[in-house]
Amino acid sequence: MKVVTGVVGNDIHVVANRLMELSLHARGYEVFNLGVNTYLEEFFDAVVETGADILLISSLNGEAEGWSREIKPLKAKYKNLDDLVMMIGGNLVVGSGNAKDIVPRYKNYGFDLVCHQVDLNTGLNSLEAFIKERNK
Amino acid sequence: MSLLQEEREIILSNEHVDAFDFAEVAEFVKNASKDLFISHHFRKKNKMLVQPRGGFPTYKQQFALYEFFVDANVDVLPLTIDSNTRLNDYGTAKKMLRLSEENDMDMLNGYPLVTHGYRTTRKMITHFNKPVSLRHGTPDARLLIETAIASGIFEIEGGPITYLLPYSKNFPLDKAFLYWKYVERVCANYSKLNEPINRESFGPLTATLVPPSITIVIQLLEMLLSLEEGVTSFSVSFSQQGSMMQDIVTGTVIKKLAKYYAEKIDCGDATINLVYHQWMGAFPTNKDFAEQLINLSTVIASMVGADKIITKTREEATGIPTKEANAKTVADTQYTLRILHGLPNVVDEEEEEILTLEVHAIMEAVFNDSADTLWRKVFNSIKNGVIDVPFSPHIINHNEMITVRDARKNIRIIEKGNVPIPERCFRYERSQCDLSKDTTSIVNDIIHDIGIMQ
Repeated sequence: MKVVTGVVGNDIHVVANRLMELSLHARGYEVFNLGVNTYLEEFFDAVVETGADILLISSLNGEAEGWSREIKPLKAKYKNLDDLVMMIGGNLVVGSGNAKDIVPRYKNYGFDLVCHQVDLNTGLNSLEAFIKERNK
Repeated sequence: MSLLQEEREIILSNEHVDAFDFAEVAEFVKNASKDLFISHHFRKKNKMLVQPRGGFPTYKQQFALYEFFVDANVDVLPLTIDSNTRLNDYGTAKKMLRLSEENDMDMLNGYPLVTHGYRTTRKMITHFNKPVSLRHGTPDARLLIETAIASGIFEIEGGPITYLLPYSKNFPLDKAFLYWKYVERVCANYSKLNEPINRESFGPLTATLVPPSITIVIQLLEMLLSLEEGVTSFSVSFSQQGSMMQDIVTGTVIKKLAKYYAEKIDCGDATINLVYHQWMGAFPTNKDFAEQLINLSTVIASMVGADKIITKTREEATGIPTKEANAKTVADTQYTLRILHGLPNVVDEEEEEILTLEVHAIMEAVFNDSADTLWRKVFNSIKNGVIDVPFSPHIINHNEMITVRDARKNIRIIEKGNVPIPERCFRYERSQCDLSKDTTSIVNDIIHDIGIMQ
């Protein structure tokens, strides 16, 4: 399967992004890594260009929330993205918050999978489980 | 008028500069106190110089910080620049400075030097009469360093590679080389008037599992790019890597090879200094542990034989440090240096040989590039992955190299990408590591290896 990934917004934290690329690759995905400092349009353009099945957005500095609000209207401008699996992970709020409030909020923005301060392999396991369930 | 002077006049005549007086500035540098020149202190002092980090938005805050540092017996004062100025956004810096002054709240993460201007800043620098080091991270630092030197700041950190690859995703690298060429020339010209202006490279790079061979190659290349423009005082640097042995070997090899390559381009007369950064990776949140780590760094810096040490603070894990915490590190570090005596001379010949061979091989590949000038050879070598910096966010960087720590916490290369690590050295590096693991366990190891000091 093809995955487009990257860090959203003006966020330059690169370490986890590289490790995600390595891990996704090891799990057999074809990875298109847009790196840090990536805007929403770039993500969706890359999904269309590569025919990706999964979009995995990450964020560390917490600015993902601001960007996520714009996902639904933006995604609606693209055709044929209904089957795209949308996942977001990292540190999803500025300051502290708890996953119980954060997860439903992000699901409402249009994400199928939301990992707030979840470790990398647990997050990727949940992605695999989600895809397995969907393909049943 | 020379082309350089024409460019300087363009750079210095814009709305953000208040009438730059070239003749007056040259006269000021010519007659400036020797104490302001770190190159003078390097020559004269027989102890390691101690330099903290720090920059605040307002003149008043920066002045107060310097008072704390001087009380703590500082050797070199820092001037850290805010991020708007680093990105040449002087308009925003000006607005944020006004907000900081009016609201008694810091709206900038450093001192907006261009906005304050050289006439104001010079008053502060000459008042304290200590050498000041400019810390920034700017790809296009032309206006910034003109303002710095005019203010009495006679050490300029940075370089086209070390200030770009760790900090930027897509600022064009070729432009950075040309902008830094200007910086080198201006520093070289001012160096003729009094003591030399010292240039310092930023060796920590991403501070994330960068192997010593890559660090040293980049240090040597920035040194050569600087010396070939006429700079006569240069500091190579690196940061604590996690293994005392690897730090000592790195120090020995970088000193030896800096001399070797400087002589190769007929710049053997230049003074080359070694700077050591206390641990630049993730710090423990426990402030007492943080102090222990800082102390350990100071001991290693002494083992390495550094000419200057750049300090961290016990508040590193929690945000921008207070001036009190910052001054405390200076006093503590001076104390450790004062009581450290009779250090043993540690040599590991095998590690030195391996590292030396690696550096020579990469340097040779850079020199063999078909481009006509050194900066173009270096540019091409980064573009084609002969130089590859682990965890650089920049799009030009290859990211093919993979490094892990061995059992003694030395950083080892297990995937070399296009970097021409000689076969023998590569076999040696890999033989130190457990390669039977799958990628998932290697990724877990890397996460652990990055955070070893936490």
